[in-house]
Amino acid sequence: MAEDQDHYLDNDEKTIVIVMTSGPSTPQRCATPFYLGAIMASMDVEVHIFFTMEGVRLMQCGIAESFAAMEGGKKIIDFIRDAKRAGVVLHVCQPALPGYKLDEDSDLIEEVDHVSRASVLADLVLRCDNVITF
Amino acid sequence: MECNGCEFHSELHYDSEYQIWLRREHDDSLTVGMTDISQTIAGKILHVRVRRPGTVRDPGKPVATIESGKWAGPIPNFIHCVILEGNIEVLENPVLLNSDPYNAWIARVEASAGAEAALEMFLTGDEAHEGYCRRARDEDIHCQRKVR
Repeated sequence: MAEDQDHYLDNDEKTIVIVMTSGPSTPQRCATPFYLGAIMASMDVEVHIFFTMEGVRLMQCGIAESFAAMEGGKKIIDFIRDAKRAGVVLHVCQPALPGYKLDEDSDLIEEVDHVSRASVLADLVLRCDNVITF
Repeated sequence: MECNGCEFHSELHYDSEYQIWLRREHDDSLTVGMTDISQTIAGKILHVRVRRPGTVRDPGKPVATIESGKWAGPIPNFIHCVILEGNIEVLENPVLLNSDPYNAWIARVEASAGAEAALEMFLTGDEAHEGYCRRARDEDIHCQRKVR
């Protein structure tokens, strides 16, 4: 019954990888990945968000606190924290850091779980059920 | 009872962060709902989905998911339990969680170890009231139960 399906959750446990390439230059693209990640993690989905290209700047100290996806909206750091509380795992792409002059030991927010090589992303993509890119 | 305008019921049981409340029912099942603090943080709730009745939930596996305009996340679960039912009234009209958080229960569960054992890990009475008020005060949470 469609109505029943809408009210009750019975999805299988899956693994989803969200590849986040957007950053502060496109603020309107920076909240949805965390919102979607939080919802999926709440549904027992194993969710990994992998920040690469300009996406790594969202994990830079002071950046996500400074802007919202929409004017007057909730700050991106709060979306990040909601996702973390729901169980989302955050990876930052190590090879992307030098291009943004980011030091992995001193410049990243405490919400980051892993600073990962590109091979980690490759492994995640190869073993997961779905990949979503933003 | 209120703290910063946040409604509190001393007879209920609360997790240590005051996200959820639990009530023991006559049949030894537990009713689970969102606290006034939680619904205020979430904002206007647009959608609720509960795990299908009969589903076994381990501690850490959410009972339900909540979506509002600005927040998405789980209704956390701390006990080993089986989902008995969702509150169809709330599933069809989620904003009841905002307007009447202590009557608008979300799900009813059966604790595998029994209700009494399950409730031992939760806070109630004066101890819960003190912690609830502390959180509202420390995080400057001012509750509003009108539909936003």
